[in-house]
Amino acid sequence: MRKLLILLLATLAPAPALAANQVALDNSVFVERVTTDASGKQRVLLEEPKVVVPGDRLVFVLNYRNAGGEPADKFVITNPMPSAVRFAGAGDASPIVSVDGGKAWGALDTLSVIQPDGTRRPAQPADVTHIRWAFQKPIPAGGSGKVMFRGVVK
Amino acid sequence: MTSKLTYWGSIGLAVAFGAAAGPAYAAGTTAGTSITNTATVNYQVGGVAQGAQTASDTFTVDRKINLTVAEVGTVTTNVVPGQTNAVTTFQLTNNSNEVLDFALVASQITGGTASHGGTDTFDATNVRIYRDSTSGTVGSWDAADTLVTYVDELAADASATLFVVADIPTGLANSAVAGVTLRATAREGGTASTQGAAITETTGANTSGKDTVFADTAGVTGDTARDGSHSDNDDYTVQTATLAVTKTSRVISDPFNNTTNPKLIPGAVVEYCIAVANSGSAAATSVAITDPVPGQLTFNAGTILLNGTVTGSTCNADGTAGGSYAAPNVSGTIATIAAGATRTLVFRATVN
Repeated sequence: MRKLLILLLATLAPAPALAANQVALDNSVFVERVTTDASGKQRVLLEEPKVVVPGDRLVFVLNYRNAGGEPADKFVITNPMPSAVRFAGAGDASPIVSVDGGKAWGALDTLSVIQPDGTRRPAQPADVTHIRWAFQKPIPAGGSGKVMFRGVVK
Repeated sequence: MTSKLTYWGSIGLAVAFGAAAGPAYAAGTTAGTSITNTATVNYQVGGVAQGAQTASDTFTVDRKINLTVAEVGTVTTNVVPGQTNAVTTFQLTNNSNEVLDFALVASQITGGTASHGGTDTFDATNVRIYRDSTSGTVGSWDAADTLVTYVDELAADASATLFVVADIPTGLANSAVAGVTLRATAREGGTASTQGAAITETTGANTSGKDTVFADTAGVTGDTARDGSHSDNDDYTVQTATLAVTKTSRVISDPFNNTTNPKLIPGAVVEYCIAVANSGSAAATSVAITDPVPGQLTFNAGTILLNGTVTGSTCNADGTAGGSYAAPNVSGTIATIAAGATRTLVFRATVN
């Protein structure tokens, strides 16, 4: 796992009013390996993505933390799907998604995709282009949490 | 319901796409592709929108070596003894996420059950491998196809049709079987017209770069899963005519009893029936029959009947006139005896 960028707000935003508010975001990805032991029980292991081949299941984990002194309101995390990864669900958090590059958003079962012949079909997980978590309540100062979603390497 | 949420639209979206990835094949994302996932946080503090926060994570898609060799048609190739250039067809598919070369080896099965039944009992000779060309007849072995020892630069998800071509020895019995195996082993691609180096699986500690993982399934006996190679069997089955000859005779008449309970006395007429039975799997053509008439008998001219039938083991003494007589031999040629059929040559002679 390589964390390429953890950009702290202080380095990005010069406005003094923002200086006290720092939101940290950490992005991790794991490969989900299912092994079956001698008694037939399945165990799921999350490994670092060193050996990754097409078809592998990935778990993306986004850790966030409000390191500032004020609550962070209207807190929205947006994650475009990497083009080589197919969306495979987001567990209980049920984020809203986009299947058209971020124009229209909604729960997956409310979206549809225009087919080449002009008709629309219900959107499938493989159609997802963006995922977004919109928090209803402010993240209090010092508050943290994580969201996750699954994908499959195309 | 499709909801366009204007509120979110008002937030400056820092949309950061992942690194350019290769096109999505069924074989999967091209090996070496970096997959970068970037998440962005937008938020407000005290009602004031703050700058977006992003975080990324990148990993590299490793190389999955997977291939299949499959016999085409799932039927044996019927051959006749002495046939040259008997063709069996295979298809090699590169299911890896990279362009690769594939070394090819065609070998003979020794003993054991061939893939389409029967026991391997002989070896074909002069076994060669050809790759089907897009010119000439596609899917059939012809002069346009290329004699190969490896498949050069086969793209991810691409297939090559390969012909194993061999000669069949003479003197083989009907239903004799020769099994052949075609095995392909992945080799490094990247250089056209040159067979690439052998590929080894990355063992031990993984690297953050492009590792190699063998993902092939087991092929024929001796070809294990995850060894970077795959194989399949096909076979040649000899289809030939197997002829058996039986000769029967009966007394037709004698000068005293005529046709009523005739006895084999001088002057009696004897009818000979030479039955040729084909118990093989292929028709026999131009079956020449020669039978010397015993010296104690005199051939009755004009009595030869060719291409007659039998019922059970009884000669029907039918057929069409033909054949020839050149003392002492009666001769005749039956054009075709189909597989499983019996045809006869009938003639009469008089006891001296």
